[in-house]
Amino acid sequence: MLLEQTDRGRGDILVVDDTPANLRLLVGLLTERGYKVRPVPNGKLALSAISLSPPDLILLDIMMPEMNGYEVCEQLKAGDRTRDIPVIFISAIDEVLDKVKAFSIGGVDYITKPFQIEEVLARVETHLSLHELQKSLEARNEDLARTLQELKATQEQLIESEKMAALGQLVAGIAHEINTPLGAIRSSVENIDEFLSSNLENLPNFFQSMSLKHRLYFVMLLQYSGQNHFLSSREKRKLKKALARQLTSEHIVDPDGVSDTLVDIGVNDNVTALLPLLKDTNRSAILNMACRFANLQDSTKTIITATDKAAKVVFALKSYTHQNIGNKKTMGNIIDGIETVLTLYQNQMKYGVEIVKKYTEFPPILCYYDELNQVWTNLIHNALQAMENKGTLTIEATQQEGNVAVVIADSGTGISPEIMPKIFQPFFTTKPPGEGSGLGLDIVKKIIDKHHGKIEVDSVPGQTKFTVFIPIACQEDKERA
Amino acid sequence: MPKLAIICVDDEPVVLNSLKIQLKNEFRDTYLYEFAESADEALEIIEELQAEAIEIAAIISDWLMPGMKGDEFLIEVHRQLPHVTKILLTGQADLEAIERANHHASLLSCIYKPWDGKELIETIKLGIGTGTP
Repeated sequence: MLLEQTDRGRGDILVVDDTPANLRLLVGLLTERGYKVRPVPNGKLALSAISLSPPDLILLDIMMPEMNGYEVCEQLKAGDRTRDIPVIFISAIDEVLDKVKAFSIGGVDYITKPFQIEEVLARVETHLSLHELQKSLEARNEDLARTLQELKATQEQLIESEKMAALGQLVAGIAHEINTPLGAIRSSVENIDEFLSSNLENLPNFFQSMSLKHRLYFVMLLQYSGQNHFLSSREKRKLKKALARQLTSEHIVDPDGVSDTLVDIGVNDNVTALLPLLKDTNRSAILNMACRFANLQDSTKTIITATDKAAKVVFALKSYTHQNIGNKKTMGNIIDGIETVLTLYQNQMKYGVEIVKKYTEFPPILCYYDELNQVWTNLIHNALQAMENKGTLTIEATQQEGNVAVVIADSGTGISPEIMPKIFQPFFTTKPPGEGSGLGLDIVKKIIDKHHGKIEVDSVPGQTKFTVFIPIACQEDKERA
Repeated sequence: MPKLAIICVDDEPVVLNSLKIQLKNEFRDTYLYEFAESADEALEIIEELQAEAIEIAAIISDWLMPGMKGDEFLIEVHRQLPHVTKILLTGQADLEAIERANHHASLLSCIYKPWDGKELIETIKLGIGTGTP
């Protein structure tokens, strides 16, 4: 603004007076001080000069023929372009100056004739700089309003991208969660297919050629089928070694191979009853076929387990993203929401996170269900990150007086007292660049505020506990009731 | 001559069960088959097999597992047993991890879940054919 003023000279002043001597005096005085001065002898010419090029300041004589100073000023104040130009009235000392009227119609000051040079200059200078300041303030306000608008738009984008980032992480985890059961299903089906295409034709012959004794052993073997399905790899290996030792002591040929086949079939205790078969030189056809049948059953069991697993993940995804129509509250079960989120994070949690759940039963509540799921997602995500996916995640959901209270606690390093006051601030993050926008807890806070609830945090090294309270009957619902 | 072993590592027992049936259907009793639900368990098995002087032909490992991840595990195996065929079988690929396994564990292949049984078997055959010392 100061620069602008230097460029244009010290200011553009319009002087309106019907007395030529006064005009000359003022023009001379002001021009000498570096102002650009335009003299006009009456009100009408003044208005046309102003509308052609609005000055920075007007010195306006009051007593003029045809149109007096008050009328000129009133017209100026009525025009959009001219309203803000400061007007200083000029009045002879012997005239009755209506000061109240001068100010009430919009004059900023007045000067009396005869002039005292220093007074005129001081008043002109003061009002010019006031006017400049006002203009610069207005410009700044406009800038600020525009910046605020832009910031709001950016914030909305960031919130959206935070949601997308969270979704992206979830999707990567879910790809694994879905592809693993899919892999098991596909290979199981291939196994079944292979068995049928290579054995079906021979089955009648196989059974016919079996002796009665072998047939009994075959049935006995089939009865074991599936019993080892849920053993861990370690347990199976232990069992295999124990059986191999037993077989060795019974002088069975190839004890390791036979015990491997027996464990596959489902044999899980002592093999005394099977010893006659195992000592038989024709044992391998019976053992192998029984093993193939056991595999068939294993494959179908695998498909059932894997299908349930994939379906559970899909169900969780579906309930996670189910949309509220028109952003209305719906009846939602808080515990179901938390469980949904846990299912989605299962993949990250099975690697070293122990979950302790303390739920008490309470009825569904009216809430923004999806948004609350976002709260649980953010808090659980933070908790897992705080303990680097190793430790104990405690989740409590209880009814406390008029609230549902949800506690999400991790056994991580804790939030230091220095950063504690900042954690709910937007853009505050302790995560490396690119991993978090710092909006997670801000979003959490906003959603909780929307429910007229509150969130508390309590942290010491080894335990950070977020407690969310959601009123069972919200403020607005009470008002409506 | 003692048998060679094939080791499968995956934290999902259903995957191990399926792999076992697939491998046995194909290779019958040509190999010993060992199954581990974690990299640590697999390293124990490798130690035991070496104690019994049983050589390892191939290792098929999941990537995302509790504790040690697949790439780290295969790099460790490579340090001990550079000639063993190493295959990643993964449902979710971290490209950097595959790159690491490629460079530092001379990974033969990365196969994605759900996998094609034939592709897996062919890859193992290719590995064992060229990878055995």
